[in-house]
Amino acid sequence: MNVGQTFLTVGAAIGLACASSVAVIAIAKVRRGRDVARSTAVLAPYRRALVVIASGEDQDGQAIAALSAVPAPIWARLRPSVVAFLPKVRGIPGVNLGELMRSHGEIDEARRMLTSRSAVRRACAAYLLGLVRDPDSAALMLPLLNDPAADVRMVAARALGTIGDPSAAMGVMGALRTQHGQIGLPAWVAAEALLAMGVEVGLALQLGLASEDPAVRNLCAVVAGHGTHFSAAPQLRILLATDCDGDVRVSAAVALGRVGGADDAATLARHADASETTVLRRTCAVALGDLGRLEGLETLAGLLGDGDRRLAELAADSLVRIGSAGIARLEAAAATGQGAGARAAGGALELAGLRGQLVVSGTGS
Amino acid sequence: MMTWFDLLEGLRLVVSGTMNLVATPMLIYFLVINTSLLVLMCLAGWEFWHQSRRKGYAGSEQAVASQLGQGVSVVVPSYNEEVVIVTSVQALLALRFARHEVIVVDDGSTDATYEKLRGAFDLVCVQREVPDDLTTRGGIIDVHVPRDGRTRLVVVRKESSGRSDSINVGINAGIEPLVVFIDADSILEPDALVAVTKPFADDPMRVVATGGGVIRAVNGCKIVDGRMVEVKLSEPWLVRIQVVEYLRAFMLGRSGWSRFGALILISGAFGMFRRDVLVEVGGLDPDSIGEDFELVMRIHRHMIRKRRDYRVHFVAEPVSWTEVPVTAKVLRSQRKRWHRGLWETLWKYRGMLLNPRYGRIWLVALPYYWAFELIAPFWEFVGFVLVVLGFALGVVSTQYALLFMVVAYGYATLVTLVAMAIEELSFHKYPHWRDLGAILFASVLENLGYRQTTAWWRLEGWWASLRGKKQVWGTMTRQGFGDDSHAVTTLRGDV
Repeated sequence: MNVGQTFLTVGAAIGLACASSVAVIAIAKVRRGRDVARSTAVLAPYRRALVVIASGEDQDGQAIAALSAVPAPIWARLRPSVVAFLPKVRGIPGVNLGELMRSHGEIDEARRMLTSRSAVRRACAAYLLGLVRDPDSAALMLPLLNDPAADVRMVAARALGTIGDPSAAMGVMGALRTQHGQIGLPAWVAAEALLAMGVEVGLALQLGLASEDPAVRNLCAVVAGHGTHFSAAPQLRILLATDCDGDVRVSAAVALGRVGGADDAATLARHADASETTVLRRTCAVALGDLGRLEGLETLAGLLGDGDRRLAELAADSLVRIGSAGIARLEAAAATGQGAGARAAGGALELAGLRGQLVVSGTGS
Repeated sequence: MMTWFDLLEGLRLVVSGTMNLVATPMLIYFLVINTSLLVLMCLAGWEFWHQSRRKGYAGSEQAVASQLGQGVSVVVPSYNEEVVIVTSVQALLALRFARHEVIVVDDGSTDATYEKLRGAFDLVCVQREVPDDLTTRGGIIDVHVPRDGRTRLVVVRKESSGRSDSINVGINAGIEPLVVFIDADSILEPDALVAVTKPFADDPMRVVATGGGVIRAVNGCKIVDGRMVEVKLSEPWLVRIQVVEYLRAFMLGRSGWSRFGALILISGAFGMFRRDVLVEVGGLDPDSIGEDFELVMRIHRHMIRKRRDYRVHFVAEPVSWTEVPVTAKVLRSQRKRWHRGLWETLWKYRGMLLNPRYGRIWLVALPYYWAFELIAPFWEFVGFVLVVLGFALGVVSTQYALLFMVVAYGYATLVTLVAMAIEELSFHKYPHWRDLGAILFASVLENLGYRQTTAWWRLEGWWASLRGKKQVWGTMTRQGFGDDSHAVTTLRGDV
């Protein structure tokens, strides 16, 4: 093939591809515009009824009856709006929207789709069953925690959390493990799901805190702290003192600050020592403030002059949060007028004054 | 004595000899570079298609509401940003996110940047110390917070020492585990932090950095109270062509690299990092011209050397909007700086190029950046000059000249159109037909002078670096986000 023929061939191919791209752009734009206009027109008569249901004002049930009776083609256009409302409502409106979905056979269809060959369909089905908080579907969704598709595992965990079935807690923890180099369940999704399951996951948490997998121990420590599971405190102390994973120790320290008792001030103080890592020291300083015990005052006051100035700042902030006794320590440190400790104390007092915390604590501003 | 005819004949011989050597390699080069871009587009398109299918169950509401996500320190380095700073900070404070603070580092501004902030947020000076986790150069003058003590804004005033050093000061001042850098002239979409932190929340042990979304041109758009309310194209064709460039480079190129697991460049305009990792690697290099590129390369090298399992992600959505240059002078300075930064960083990390321990970065990303990003302006400029000159002198046939134009520019236009088609199918940010038509036209127009000129500017930047010429700062016209605000401010990072 000579240069001229090559030019003609390449030129024609590129020209055709360019024209096709322009056509795709134009067709996509036209179709989207038409679709939006058609949906708007079709849905206009039903919008008010949908808003009435979602706002909980459908006391006579007329709106739900009207929307339950819409024909399938209109329901197909109305359905996305109903699904979009579901995560935003709670209580009676949520139940009514769920009933509306059920009346159109969506719940039964979703249950069937949980075993679909398409990962997207399985995920969509689990998502919907979670949104309508269908308790009968919890058992059907448990196997999805080990689904080969990451999205399906994630949506199933969220749905189980929304339904609030604590028997799924161990399954959620098990789904955390890394599979073929890819993360299992995202840690925050698992934590949110366990938190949503409430205090009944306490036993599962205790088992998780003793897990061999650091990701599971870390997750359980986070949940124990955020969910204020006081029964986890003994295990958290052990993790803080002995765990081989730095992240787990940090999470345990945070959790102890929330669920610990008077004795834990000494535990946290020990780990704020200079021999520990920077991250753990800082975390313990914050946790001592969260704990709010007077037993932590000495340690925190001692940290004001530490070479790690972020640690000093956090310690000063914790002293403010402990209350009047902590603020008195800060005032004493600031009164010396010089040195790193005085600077940290002065800065914290200044910020506390701006926030009105000095007035609340009764020491004046 | 040599006549004009002799000179012309000599030139003919030189061009003819050169063309004999490079005619085919040049065509192959453009064919490969455009094909590689097309492949990256397809990878990005595949990624967007997957994302759009996930939208139905993505659960962004849960991500917004979650209290478990890590907090974010938003660091805004600013130097003479009086026109945009208040709007920008208002928008950043109003972002939908569970826990974030905004840290403005005023790098010795000579205009009213600080006064504007003080007036708008009722700032008061406090004794707050800024730790020295990272070594910095510019001395801190003072620290200010809003009088209510609760608005999570910190303004650090310091002696002038450059953008990178200002960001390092901001990292030191930040208290949250994640840090995002954003230029003061950028506008983020309300859910920007939610989207960009999601990879960190999903995989907290491994994700160390995310490239924060697509950067688009804010010029011409309507901004109200720091929020984008209407996307429109600016009138000047110089801006419209840059819209096309940004679309191609930021959205599709980087999404493709991320999909391939070899993302080595995160835009300095909006990138998020784990604070502890930033401290570990020493923060941004104040002496680097391409500080964003250099930082990501350093993180890659550090993590691989430490044998740590880590990830760098690019998040295609949401978008951040930033002002692009409106004059050729500023554009030239910007492109010179970008290319100089690219060259200096690639040269600095040349050891990674030949080292198989760096995996896909060694195998694909770095060779690509050397062969196509760095050398592309050379071939683009030299190729164009040779073909035009050769054609004028009669040593290049019409068929070859046309074939060159089709392969180099026609194919490039196709790549851009495919990028636009993917954008229209995925994000469709430009609602007006007129704007879409203008972008389409700009994608053709950029081949008629713009590409060749910017190629020359990029070569200038490269040459300046090779000669060891010192980087100098200049001025850029900032138009601000409002309809009426126009001002000239010094933008030190862009010139």
